[in-house]
Amino acid sequence: MNRQDRISMALKDALPIVIAYFPISVTFGVLAAASGFSSLYTILGSVWIYSGGAQFMLVGMIGYAAVPTAVITTILLVNLRHILYGATIGPHMKTWSEPLKWAAAFGLTDEVYAVVSSRLKSGERLMPAYYLTFAFAAYASWIAGTSVGIGLGGLVPPELSDILEFALPAMFIALLFGGEINLPTLASATTGAVLAITAGLIGLGGAGIVLGGLGGATVGLVVKNYQNRKQRSI
Amino acid sequence: MDATLWMILLIGLGTYLFRAGSSVLGSRIKWSDKTREWLNFVSPAVLGALLGPLLLLNQDQWVNWAENKALIAAVPTILVAWWSRRLLPTVASGVGLYAVAYYLL
Repeated sequence: MNRQDRISMALKDALPIVIAYFPISVTFGVLAAASGFSSLYTILGSVWIYSGGAQFMLVGMIGYAAVPTAVITTILLVNLRHILYGATIGPHMKTWSEPLKWAAAFGLTDEVYAVVSSRLKSGERLMPAYYLTFAFAAYASWIAGTSVGIGLGGLVPPELSDILEFALPAMFIALLFGGEINLPTLASATTGAVLAITAGLIGLGGAGIVLGGLGGATVGLVVKNYQNRKQRSI
Repeated sequence: MDATLWMILLIGLGTYLFRAGSSVLGSRIKWSDKTREWLNFVSPAVLGALLGPLLLLNQDQWVNWAENKALIAAVPTILVAWWSRRLLPTVASGVGLYAVAYYLL
């Protein structure tokens, strides 16, 4: 496969993300404007943070006047999950130059990770032309959508922006149930959900996502090992 | 600089350092087969952990089942995701189903 083919494949793979990111980032722009964020801060959120969940949380938490240090700590705890993504994708970047690795890491969102890691699972090599095209297309869509959202701002009725907020959980559902679903993946997702909910209920908030990620992945592996042992003993 | 700008800058910087630090470190370490297998389950586990509180809690409190529009919309959305295996139809029908739940409940 040559460079041109990799770029076309990346654009093809990125298309659903580009199309899905657009309305979600429009929603972010609309909600941020409705919460009193200036246009500059709203676009800066998308350009600099580039993490949908974090941006939605930021707008929501500022809405109920949370203390800045608490907002930053909670959101960064939730975003700790990106360490797990980097640890998974990193080994596939061994042959890349250092500046390229640092640049590529910026685009490692939940959705980019989910699609790229499923490609890697099927045994493909991660090439810079593929990854960078893919990540940049998604980033461009995120920023374009945010700009449109800022423009629409006051025109969107609050009811509609409430409804549009469901785009974020719908995207997570699509990524979870649209991938490979078997007993170990279901066990890891369920464990992740139970741990995160429990952490929320006892007031640990953002840390629950990380606990859920670590605990859920461990349970998934245990279930898979159990299945393998059972198969061998038959 | 005001507090909002500081929050945006620090959250962005922290998130980038998580992404970059782990990618660069991950590219230098040789993971064992068991670790790599474990890493395969990170994605479903984190997605479950993100979804659970989004669908069942509101500001760290249970949402009453009968009034939980997000959960009611999520169940058919999961079926669409499972059946279509595609991102866009799932997100579009999810938002549509949530709109129905929003106006009916």
